[in-house]
Amino acid sequence: MSEQTGKQLSKEEKDARFEAELLPVLDPLYNFAYRLTLDEDDANDLVQETYLKAYRFFDYFEQGTNAKAWLFRILKNSFINEFRKKSKQPAKVDYSEVEGYYNTEDVEGDNGVATTTDMRSESVQDLIGDEVASALNTLPVDFRTVIILCDLEGFTYEEMAKILDIPIGTVRSRLHRARNSLKEKLEKYAKTMGYNS
Amino acid sequence: MESKFTEMYQKEPAEEKDGACEQVADMLDSVVDGEASADEQKFFNSHIEECVNCFESHQKQKLLKGLVSGHLKRVIVPASLVQTIKAKIQETI
Ligand SMILES: [Zn+2]
Repeated sequence: MSEQTGKQLSKEEKDARFEAELLPVLDPLYNFAYRLTLDEDDANDLVQETYLKAYRFFDYFEQGTNAKAWLFRILKNSFINEFRKKSKQPAKVDYSEVEGYYNTEDVEGDNGVATTTDMRSESVQDLIGDEVASALNTLPVDFRTVIILCDLEGFTYEEMAKILDIPIGTVRSRLHRARNSLKEKLEKYAKTMGYNS
Repeated sequence: MESKFTEMYQKEPAEEKDGACEQVADMLDSVVDGEASADEQKFFNSHIEECVNCFESHQKQKLLKGLVSGHLKRVIVPASLVQTIKAKIQETI
């Protein structure tokens, strides 16, 4: 079949292509929505809206092109237009809790080596994940977005530029500033985990 | 994170901190993201073999990326979402 048929798909063909090409992106798309809105209900609404728009404009989607990037772009635009204003403020993170937890052993012994945590244990992995999430959530949404797109979803700079409607140079500089900011947030935590010595 | 490393490696000769280090610092993101050109990557690799400061910066940048890509938990998509989407689409036609 030639690509021209994309413009006169029967409803059955359209539905089948929609399911085969766009629905598999649901998981990353929902995760992106959640990281933007920081709220499960908002993420749910945002993803539904994205798919409805995608269905409505499906004729504009060129078969075989990057469905994931296309959907992410629609979702990002929907978020900016409708959700950004009402999305909840990121929660403040209190590092003293974590710090206190990791330093308890130091209080008695003063032997830094003995407190070296086994990085492979599952609970430690969970704690790291929680801490990264907390730090990420305190970043401005523009910073959070580039980090998610790049590090979690593995988009290229060029794809990110298209998703975000910004030049590649801006992608680079925004990512650089975002990482510096995340680095700062994680700094204290990294020290307590012995990453820094 | 920066200050600790600066302290540790202050014994490095001052002339090491030259233009090459600045260039390498600017390339850190594109290198860890696999976006550096072959030439850039070559320049980067040969520099960090000789410069401990930049070697450490590279390690830290990889670590930071790994914290997000390897540790950030994915949220579970609600089981009903696919059906809701399909139903809504049929409604709107
Ligand atoms: Zn250097």
